[in-house]
Amino acid sequence: MAIARRSARLDLESSGIWLLLAVAVGAAAATIPVFRDPANLANVLRQSSVLGILAIGQTFVIAAGMIDLSVGMIAGLVVVLACWMLGNDPSLTLAVIALMLTLGASIGLVNGLVVNRLKLHPLILTFGMLSILQGGIFTFTDRSVGRASPMLQAAANDDIWGVPLSTILLVAVLAVFHLVFSRTRFGYHLIATGGNAESARRAGIDVKRIRLACFAISGFCAALAGLLLAGRLGTGYPLAGTGLELDAIVAVVLGGTSLAGGRGSVIRSVGGVVALTVISNVLNLLEVSAFVQMFIKGLIVVGAILANQPRREQP
Amino acid sequence: MIDKTLVPLLAIKGLAKRYPGVVALKGVDLTANAGEVHALVGANGAGKSTLMNLLAGAQAPSEGEICIEGQVVRFDGPASAQDRGIATVYQEFSLVPQLSVARSIFLGREPKSAFGFVDTRRLAERTRALLERFNLKLDPDAEVATLSVADQQLVEIGRALSFDARILILDEPTAVLSFAEQDNLFAVIRQLKSEGMLVLYVSHHLREVLAIADRVTVLRDGEKIATRDTAGLTVDDLVSLMLGRSGAYAKTTGHQPDSADGSLFDITYRTAGPESRLALRGGEIVGLAGLVGAGRTTFARALSGNALSSASVDIGHEGRTLHFSSPREAMGHGVVYITEDRKRDGIFAELDIVANATASALPSLGLGPLRNSRKEQAVSSNILQRLHLVASSLSAPIVKLSGGNQQKVLIGRALLTKPTILVCDEPTRGVDIGAKAEIHEILRGLARSGVAVLVVSSEIEELLALAHRIVVMHERRFVAEMPAHEAEESQILIAASSGSKSMEKNDEA
Repeated sequence: MAIARRSARLDLESSGIWLLLAVAVGAAAATIPVFRDPANLANVLRQSSVLGILAIGQTFVIAAGMIDLSVGMIAGLVVVLACWMLGNDPSLTLAVIALMLTLGASIGLVNGLVVNRLKLHPLILTFGMLSILQGGIFTFTDRSVGRASPMLQAAANDDIWGVPLSTILLVAVLAVFHLVFSRTRFGYHLIATGGNAESARRAGIDVKRIRLACFAISGFCAALAGLLLAGRLGTGYPLAGTGLELDAIVAVVLGGTSLAGGRGSVIRSVGGVVALTVISNVLNLLEVSAFVQMFIKGLIVVGAILANQPRREQP
Repeated sequence: MIDKTLVPLLAIKGLAKRYPGVVALKGVDLTANAGEVHALVGANGAGKSTLMNLLAGAQAPSEGEICIEGQVVRFDGPASAQDRGIATVYQEFSLVPQLSVARSIFLGREPKSAFGFVDTRRLAERTRALLERFNLKLDPDAEVATLSVADQQLVEIGRALSFDARILILDEPTAVLSFAEQDNLFAVIRQLKSEGMLVLYVSHHLREVLAIADRVTVLRDGEKIATRDTAGLTVDDLVSLMLGRSGAYAKTTGHQPDSADGSLFDITYRTAGPESRLALRGGEIVGLAGLVGAGRTTFARALSGNALSSASVDIGHEGRTLHFSSPREAMGHGVVYITEDRKRDGIFAELDIVANATASALPSLGLGPLRNSRKEQAVSSNILQRLHLVASSLSAPIVKLSGGNQQKVLIGRALLTKPTILVCDEPTRGVDIGAKAEIHEILRGLARSGVAVLVVSSEIEELLALAHRIVVMHERRFVAEMPAHEAEESQILIAASSGSKSMEKNDEA
């Protein structure tokens, strides 16, 4: 009886984001003809890919009970460095991609090492890292530098059979990391760590390694997002990564991942990203001013998170 | 005019509580008088907590009535029960650690001065008066976080008394106390009794119940079985009333481990002061006794690779010396610790039973880095069945289980790692008496299969029943050792509180 009733009740925690997405897309498609235009839909998907990849990495960190504020600036640093290196010699693209992904993962590893060794709260540490990277970027250049190579630009902007390449990349990254998150021992251990780190340690789980790996994944994803962003922008714009970390975190939380850790899903995080992008696309199509957009988006985010809050049954 | 002495302070008539699908309390009658300590006992699920919650105003009864001094009262919340003079001290405290004792006692009712500021002088005066009146030895200015658990409990009691309560409900008050602290609490309870208060004492610890209570009411399956005077009553009497069968603890008898048989672990414990040694043997259950603060848990943790910086353990085994720097490493060598505090560092509350049971053993259950959920399911269902776990479904979150069943899952988690030394810290804390016996049987079975079991428990009775050998700890050292079948509770207590090695001498003294 009790079980039947529970499954019948709508589980907002896991399906809330799909509900929000369905309502947003349905309402937009019904009322705004331009929204249904394949070119616009492809645009929405293209816009989702950078943030989507960031959110995938962020989900690992948040589900493990931490947070990573440095991802926006890692992406920003990658945009500037990749374009600067490729400005003169576009043939180096593959080497630069490998270098940037290593750089991102390494910054993540540094985050993880410091959190483990100095027992700093991840919020403080990664905020420090954000500031350090931002300072580094602006010391390096205060204006756009270099050029993204044609290959990066193609990856970010071209379509194949009407589907943006960047979306295919997002889906591929999502598939891999969803598998890691939900089907591997590591994925389960990171949920356990996020749920109760001390229990996890005493159960013989190597909590430090879990944290290190989560930050490395987050840094890696940030670098990948940065490469895509470089392709979209075409040039090394020093402000490119500003604020991306907050959008990513909002998307992750919209997707039902608990900020306290111990619960989460990468697929739903990407759902959160697409929902945010759809909403902002609709507001653009309706020619709502940028400032009013901020206002509306803020309300939607707070409302959605309230609706998504886990309901604790009374004992 | 009604003669007040003839009207009981508390009278409960036909009190019942129904939840959807469950009847938690089935028409309980109970009377208790001022100046009485009245104990409520019963196995988990017997209805003790429900009755307590109804009296505390935390829940409303489905049927029946509660009378105070002959007047029917209805509570629409804990606050209204407090107004009627019923105060409750729950097992889990609700103190704000940063506040002083005085502020905690009068939290929300601080005396105010002219501008609405807290009148600290009057607050201090009132606190001092209250503490003196009930002989509570507390410093009104001390910060709650700096107090021992026993003193925090006194703060809770002080807070309850500050409402001018006439009925005080104590829920498992000694669960967190050492012997000496327990004596102090009992002195406080006797003081309250002499002031004409009714103390309702809810506890699993039957020996204490007999020591402190005047009368005891036994509940079973939501029904009142009996109310008895404690004079002349024995633990066995109570247990048979609670369970409907007799015998508190089945003893570990007959089976004495063959010392030549099991493999020997020679343990050296280093901490502040001289080092101390202890031997564990495969097939043997060693009971570690001692007062709270004697360092038993610190030792148990160090033994299983989770040492505080001040303590370390070397294990000599088959000519090698092992030293672990993490629980993971200890587990790799077969040394597994089961925590005394399930909630804090044992269970993953939101994860399901399977995930909780397999947490430590996953590497042996998967395919490379991938998990094999079917195998996890099969393995945990197998082990949990052997442990007689009662659960509606293995995919239910572990918090839905009772304490005893949660403990079984944690034991299952430990067993899946195939331990050679199993360290159980308070394995039956917060577990009802039926599950207790089952957990004892599980540990005995493990010992029979060759595992060296170390049990830390504050319940000497439990150690005497369960262990083959008792080791007593005092001030971070092992001070006495004796075969359980020769040990007396008094011997253990003396060694634990004095640290004296030669107990015979103490006995004679």
